[in-house]
Amino acid sequence: MIKILKDIWIVLSIEARRVFTDSTVLLIFFIAPIIYPLIFCSVYNKENVEDMPVAVVDESPSEDSKRFIHKIDATPEMSVDYKCCNIEEARKLFKDHDVRAVFYFPKDFATRLETLRTGRIVVYGDMSSFYYFKAALLGGNNVLIDEMQSIELERYEKAGLTNQEAEIQMQPVVYETTTLYNPSNGYGSFFLPILLILVIHQTIFLGICILSGDANENRYALKLIPPHLRNNHTQRVTLGRALCYVLIYIPITILDLWFIPRWFHLPQLGNLYTILEFALPFVLSVVYFGMTIGTLFVRQKISPMLCFVFFSLMLFLLSGMVWPQQSMPRLLFLFSQIFPSTPGVQGYVKIASMGGNLEVVRTEYMTLWLQALVYFSTATLATYLKQYNRHRKKEKLHKVHASEEILRKLRITHNTKE
Amino acid sequence: MRLVRVINRELRRIAYRPRYLIILTLGIILAFTIFATMTSEGQPKNLPIAVVDMDGTYLSRRVCHEINATSGVQVYAVYNNHSEARKAMQQGKIFAFYEIPKGTYNEVLQFRAPHFVLYVNSAYMLAGTLSYKQLATMGMIAGAAVQREIYRKKGYGDDQIMGLIQPVEFDTRNIGNAEINYGSYMMTTLMPALIAFLTVLHTIYVIARERQERSLRSWLNKANGNALIALIGKAIPYTVWYILLCLIVNFIMFGPMGFLMEGSWMLMVLNTIMLIVAAQCAGLFIGACITDAPLAMSIGAIYSAMSFTFSGFSFPIEAMPKAYEVASWLYPIRQYFLNYTDIALFGNGFEHCWKHFAILLLFLLMPIAGAPLLAWQYKLDKKTHKLNTEAK
Repeated sequence: MIKILKDIWIVLSIEARRVFTDSTVLLIFFIAPIIYPLIFCSVYNKENVEDMPVAVVDESPSEDSKRFIHKIDATPEMSVDYKCCNIEEARKLFKDHDVRAVFYFPKDFATRLETLRTGRIVVYGDMSSFYYFKAALLGGNNVLIDEMQSIELERYEKAGLTNQEAEIQMQPVVYETTTLYNPSNGYGSFFLPILLILVIHQTIFLGICILSGDANENRYALKLIPPHLRNNHTQRVTLGRALCYVLIYIPITILDLWFIPRWFHLPQLGNLYTILEFALPFVLSVVYFGMTIGTLFVRQKISPMLCFVFFSLMLFLLSGMVWPQQSMPRLLFLFSQIFPSTPGVQGYVKIASMGGNLEVVRTEYMTLWLQALVYFSTATLATYLKQYNRHRKKEKLHKVHASEEILRKLRITHNTKE
Repeated sequence: MRLVRVINRELRRIAYRPRYLIILTLGIILAFTIFATMTSEGQPKNLPIAVVDMDGTYLSRRVCHEINATSGVQVYAVYNNHSEARKAMQQGKIFAFYEIPKGTYNEVLQFRAPHFVLYVNSAYMLAGTLSYKQLATMGMIAGAAVQREIYRKKGYGDDQIMGLIQPVEFDTRNIGNAEINYGSYMMTTLMPALIAFLTVLHTIYVIARERQERSLRSWLNKANGNALIALIGKAIPYTVWYILLCLIVNFIMFGPMGFLMEGSWMLMVLNTIMLIVAAQCAGLFIGACITDAPLAMSIGAIYSAMSFTFSGFSFPIEAMPKAYEVASWLYPIRQYFLNYTDIALFGNGFEHCWKHFAILLLFLLMPIAGAPLLAWQYKLDKKTHKLNTEAK
């Protein structure tokens, strides 16, 4: 037992020395996981579009339309920057991107309202970003509902209903909506929890891949493993390495998954203990996943960085937060489960944003442990095979050398005999 | 002539080790396939939602049926109490649920308005918003149907009834994406952005590789020591390849996949070409300036990791702090995106987007700025080489 621990300790210290002497890896392990969340959090701090410029075209100026325009201007989402005389003028503003939406009150708006019919307002919305669309929709709908109720009350009075009757008539069923977990429906609260997990995933993965590329390039991969562990007990090597990374990532995980969301007032309902307990299998499975890929595929130190951003994008899209997992094609869903980031993101959002405990995220938690186990075996196997191949190559070389040596000696003896 | 020699050398290098070009191309194809299959329906379908039926009457069951008939959502389960539904929501099994409180049927019988509460999980942006939209619309339609019945019995005409139920309505026209297709929204910017930053990274990579293999001298020798020509020659094979890829992707998206293309194709082709060239110029600059290969790669990765954010297609740049608006000018994809909205979504002509093209042209200055540095490194390298040989 003590021997095992001692072996693990040796491997760990070798690995730690490598990490702390490589400036690129230091940058990725210690700077990136701090800088990225800070930048992204400040970028998305505003959560929603505010005071989006809109234009109004009022072709039937009346009290109703004026009130409507005032109310639009008063919403936090929009501000009426232009009042145009005709639709052509507004269209020009719209095409020049000076306004992101146009509210057009057609000529018959006032007359329709007077004759107790439905008044129609045409809304042109800029769909180049969904946030313009959302601001116009949300702000517009709030005004619409507000207006509708006051107009309706007026009309019911005209129709000879008492106030109370009218109110019941207006809303035969009362619908109340409660938005849970991300009350402002902001982009930051949605995106940043995903980003935090992805940053941890990608920095570990990239760092490990760079280290294996480095070892491979400089041909000292073999020297990194203590001689007595080269042919058997490979699991001690992988265990020791993983322990090194896990130890490095404990403070980073606490910082990224606990402190940063607090600083930037992201939804944070989970408690630290649950988050850490969940993060353990996550970090482990990422470490072993990285070790497997790194040992099997990475030949150069700089090539992992070539694919890194591309890989991050794929993980983000496959995480099931952008496109719900239930609507994904089955095959794609299964494919997404290969990566530790998918259950990681899902689980972390459920814990941090929705206040779940480990029981709630049991599926994700178990998936992560399963992944950790599978990738541990593959990493061990890959390391072992690499050792074995190297060893055999070396032995072959040795044999060649030996036979050459014998030949040479023979020749020498032959020569001397002659 | 010098240029041809450098290009020739680069082509030979690619032929000798085509691994990364193949991997990246396959990656782009894979990404395209994943996007296209994922968003093939335009909007997510069959979003699971639930009903908490505490009333358990004929009416509440009617509501369940009605929800099931709503497009886009399906009833995943009917629960008896709030906490069960809440737990299912936490587990991500459902994105929204309706709660029908006890005594709803009685209230209806007594002509009082029953209270329905709709809970929406907005941690899942798209799924939450969509299920909310569908359920809220359904609620409104169902409510309106009840109202209409009452008015009809009172002897109002249909036109009048509509006026009473809905005095004002919006006629929404979504310019640029009429049917709110998420595929066309995401892919049209994400795919070119992906290709553009792979171009940046690949350009840095090939220069970094020269440094690692200590072949800087032989590379610049082919250009007779002219660093700019060496850089351009190195870039051209990749320029051609990635422009080709990006054009094919765009043709597939705006052609067979039917994404909106209002303006001129020629401008869009020009936009694509400029995007790749500008991206490559940024890559050449980083590659030429930073002598340490891993550092150059990490800076390239850090730079390109932000390109989606600063394209401004998911979250508008105007809503970000001002400093980031300036930062977004460093990204060719930002100008590409603005051009794309102008050309493809709004059908604007060149007079609208020339500014963005002009900014893209400014990127061409980057390799010119980086070339003297490379030339200096070359000189240094030559000198040490000379000293070494003399010493020998």
